[in-house]
Amino acid sequence: MREHLHVVRAGFCLEMAHAAASRTFVLLTVLAALNFLALVTLFGLTGSYAPTAIVNLDAGPYGAAFVRALENAHHSFRLEPMSAARAAARLRAGTIVAAIVIPADFSAGIAAGEQVPIDLTIDNVDVDLTDDVQRALPSAIVAFGRDQHLPDINVTAVEHDLLPRDTGYLPYLAVSGLALDALVIAGILGASAMAREWEGGAAKTWKLWRLAPADPAAVLAGKLLAMAALASLALAVTALVVIAGYRIVPRRPLELVVGLLACVAIFTCLGGLLGALARRTQPVVPLLFGLAMPFYLGSGALEPARFDGELVWRLAHLSPCYYAVGVLQEAVHGLRVTPESPRFDLVALLVLAAVSLIGTRLAIVRGRIR
Amino acid sequence: MSEPRAVDAAILVDDVTCRFGKRAALDHLSLTVPRGTIVGLVGPNGAGKTTLIELTCGLFPPASGRILVFGRDAARQPRDVRARIGVVPQETALYEDLSAWRNLRFAAALYGVRDADRRIAVLLDLVGLSERAHEPVRAFSGGMQRRLALARALLHDPALLLLDEPTVGVDVETRHQLWAHIRGLRAEGRTVLLATNYLDEAEALCDRVAILRAGRLLAEDTPAALIGRAGRCLDFVCTPSERSRVAALLRARVDVLRLEETPAGVTAYLATGAAAEEVARAVIAATPVESFRARSPDLAEVFRALETAA
Repeated sequence: MREHLHVVRAGFCLEMAHAAASRTFVLLTVLAALNFLALVTLFGLTGSYAPTAIVNLDAGPYGAAFVRALENAHHSFRLEPMSAARAAARLRAGTIVAAIVIPADFSAGIAAGEQVPIDLTIDNVDVDLTDDVQRALPSAIVAFGRDQHLPDINVTAVEHDLLPRDTGYLPYLAVSGLALDALVIAGILGASAMAREWEGGAAKTWKLWRLAPADPAAVLAGKLLAMAALASLALAVTALVVIAGYRIVPRRPLELVVGLLACVAIFTCLGGLLGALARRTQPVVPLLFGLAMPFYLGSGALEPARFDGELVWRLAHLSPCYYAVGVLQEAVHGLRVTPESPRFDLVALLVLAAVSLIGTRLAIVRGRIR
Repeated sequence: MSEPRAVDAAILVDDVTCRFGKRAALDHLSLTVPRGTIVGLVGPNGAGKTTLIELTCGLFPPASGRILVFGRDAARQPRDVRARIGVVPQETALYEDLSAWRNLRFAAALYGVRDADRRIAVLLDLVGLSERAHEPVRAFSGGMQRRLALARALLHDPALLLLDEPTVGVDVETRHQLWAHIRGLRAEGRTVLLATNYLDEAEALCDRVAILRAGRLLAEDTPAALIGRAGRCLDFVCTPSERSRVAALLRARVDVLRLEETPAGVTAYLATGAAAEEVARAVIAATPVESFRARSPDLAEVFRALETAA
């Protein structure tokens, strides 16, 4: 056992020495973790809060109340009060999506019980944004009617929340982003650590493992541990940004730490397997990037996969991110986003790690030295 | 040298067959490597040299037969066997981004070397790399990398060294330096199994030479005995116009096994026991030649003769 630990340590030191010799690569990989957090955050920021001009020509109380209803209606709007001329100019310039004009006789018309038209000019360059605005305006009108106790609005929704509090879209995405980060960063570091053993022209250093009496699994464990340590560092920086920058306070900090470390270790093993199979860093890095996005998007990263339909939910089980998101959302937000328990998710990830390690060891010990 | 007994053997290859798919990489091969000797494995690419080294390290079991290394079955006790063997593979298998010292430190851990730092210092000194111990291997010449690989193979003080093409791609000076190191290993009482494509290397270094072809052992003996086993050579110097006449005369003789036309004339390889003087006189009597010389063949010529016969 002591001899094995000695070899594990040697593998760890070897990989750390490699990292020290490739500082730029390691630094860029750590920065990539922050980059991915920014990427997923942009999912939350784009497409919402579309810049929309509000031109209130009404001086009465109903005009102001309608503006408030618009502000509260949906996150599709980021209302900017301005004059009609400026709104028209900015629409032409393409700096706003829509202009909503409350006519001068709005309050008078509402008070008189008349139907008052609200003028909406919209830049329909992107139907997604157009749809958001078109959906949000009627809901604001309904909310306005309900708040002002206008006649003919007889239906109101009574909401019963399953959870004691709402979780914002951005906080949800940021936590999923940590799972994506773990997959990409730990995966790339693990893959490059293994692929390197087959590269370098005259090197083919994996042969050294084969010819020595030490168990290749011990070297493998040491190397992957070193890469997992570096990936953990990158993830720690990212998690700090999530906590301090996004002000997302984890509900179960210890679970978050354990979950993140487990995800990092497991995805390092998965990367190691891909590296040992591909035997080249050049193809394995784009392969990991290529796998990461569908794994991420199909894993319930943007919303629980179970809400995406039966087929998507079943496919999501193929993604390691599915289980990682399950573990991390539970730890940070206390959300159960997979029907399976976080413990099941963790076990599924551990099985993946075990399969990866066995596969990687086989890739080494089955190779010929010629 | 007398025929070695199995108990004296560092390596005993006993009727080993190894297949990759339908191809037999080794075909009922038997070979003994006596302790304290340098034995050369000679043969063209695909002859089975590297496969034999792999089997000796216990990387995989043979289809049949067995290999004993110091009495231990390589297939059944591979780790025990590997602990006694130092290997220099064809590729140096060095981490090029890391220093010589770091490379040896890692290898020392793989082989469980005690007091590794002292041992590394001794070996770096032995191969003349002490002053460059902390430079990345990438900056080393091919010869320096070979020497470092040799130092790594010696880290755990193995009694047996397996060298797979140790001088391939190095310059003449480095080659002779490596030869000196290899001779030094024998002087220390170590056994060396040397796989090489260079017959002059085998002739210069080896106590015994095993000639392999397509996984079979064509011959195994001391270089002198192998050379003696082949017939003598006759080099005729003649004008280009006489060359075809000389060749025709030689070709007609049953005691001439093979002919080669050379820039100076014709070389005849005679059957074992053929009288070179008599062959030469018969040729000179029939056609003028400028001169002739009878000589022993070198190992390369023995190898070609054996290959032709096979």
